[in-house]
Amino acid sequence: MAISPYETSTDPYHEPEPMCYTSNALRLFVEGLGQLRGGQILDVGPACGDNINFLAPRVRRLFVCDMFIRLDREQRLGLPAQWVWRHLDYSPKNFDGILLWDLVDHLDNSEVERLRELTHRMLRKSGMAVVVALSQQSIQPVVNSFVIGDDYRLSLRPQRHLELPLHIRENREMLELFAPFIPVRSFIYRNGIREFLFRRN
Amino acid sequence: MLRKRKHGAGDTGQALSPSTKEETTIIGERISIEGNIQGEGDLVIDGSVKGSIELDKHHLTVGSMGQVEANIHAENVTISGRMTGNIKAGCKVEITKDADFNGEIRAKRISVEDGAYLKAVIELDREPQEKTAPVGKPAEEEGSAPNEETLSLVRESDKGK
Repeated sequence: MAISPYETSTDPYHEPEPMCYTSNALRLFVEGLGQLRGGQILDVGPACGDNINFLAPRVRRLFVCDMFIRLDREQRLGLPAQWVWRHLDYSPKNFDGILLWDLVDHLDNSEVERLRELTHRMLRKSGMAVVVALSQQSIQPVVNSFVIGDDYRLSLRPQRHLELPLHIRENREMLELFAPFIPVRSFIYRNGIREFLFRRN
Repeated sequence: MLRKRKHGAGDTGQALSPSTKEETTIIGERISIEGNIQGEGDLVIDGSVKGSIELDKHHLTVGSMGQVEANIHAENVTISGRMTGNIKAGCKVEITKDADFNGEIRAKRISVEDGAYLKAVIELDREPQEKTAPVGKPAEEEGSAPNEETLSLVRESDKGK
């Protein structure tokens, strides 16, 4: 279901409390990386110093390609949506893990399918992908980054420079969109945020 | 125009202070340089540079108007402008919200402001004395904080469907 672009509030007294939760999918993802210390992972953003400093020491090479800001910028320029994928020009089977965060929430189904194809292409066999999806309950007034804190605690930090559409999907639709992947585990939190951990077959 | 200035508070407006008691060289907005730059001092680039930059123990700043296509070796690097290339820093790399960076970064520490236009490969030098949390070991038995509950959406029998 597509939802109109985010509403922005300028009233500081109505700023929502920052949402935090402990991410089981991220913990499982990092545990998986621990078994291949020389691994390479890709984070599709939004680019965040906290996440870079959390992830980089745990892998050999951390790749960051902020697709959120690229989507935003290219939409503003009126470029066709599918053009944005040229930025993910990495070699096939380049990564042991990819953090997609809630990027799919900002794409229509055809673009999610393209992202899934690219993710499948870029991941090595048994590579993992983390996908986060908002629900009606957890819709935020602006696009957020998921900032990694201690003990896999994620805080949502508003990215007010980004204006992207929002698509909320049912669990079944999410699983169908990522069908070639094996769904390892999925979680739903009391705040309404859902996490999916997929493995490339 | 190339010019030099003495350091003082508010000179660059950057969080990383260039090394003290030395002059900073500024490559002005209207200057383009192609070639190799080597120096024993801090450098601010507001113009255009293509080539390589070696400042060893010093601080390089690519200002918000700067455009750099180069391999860089410096102690600290601050990017606020547009840069393509590889950075090897002895200490810290700072990417500000105005930056457009595409390349590789190797440093001890890195900071990235929200809003930076970033495509990077990042390798952080591991300091031996620094303890990182053991990978694969959750801090608590339960991954969630109290009052948070996780529900598995996919049963074992559903996997692969």
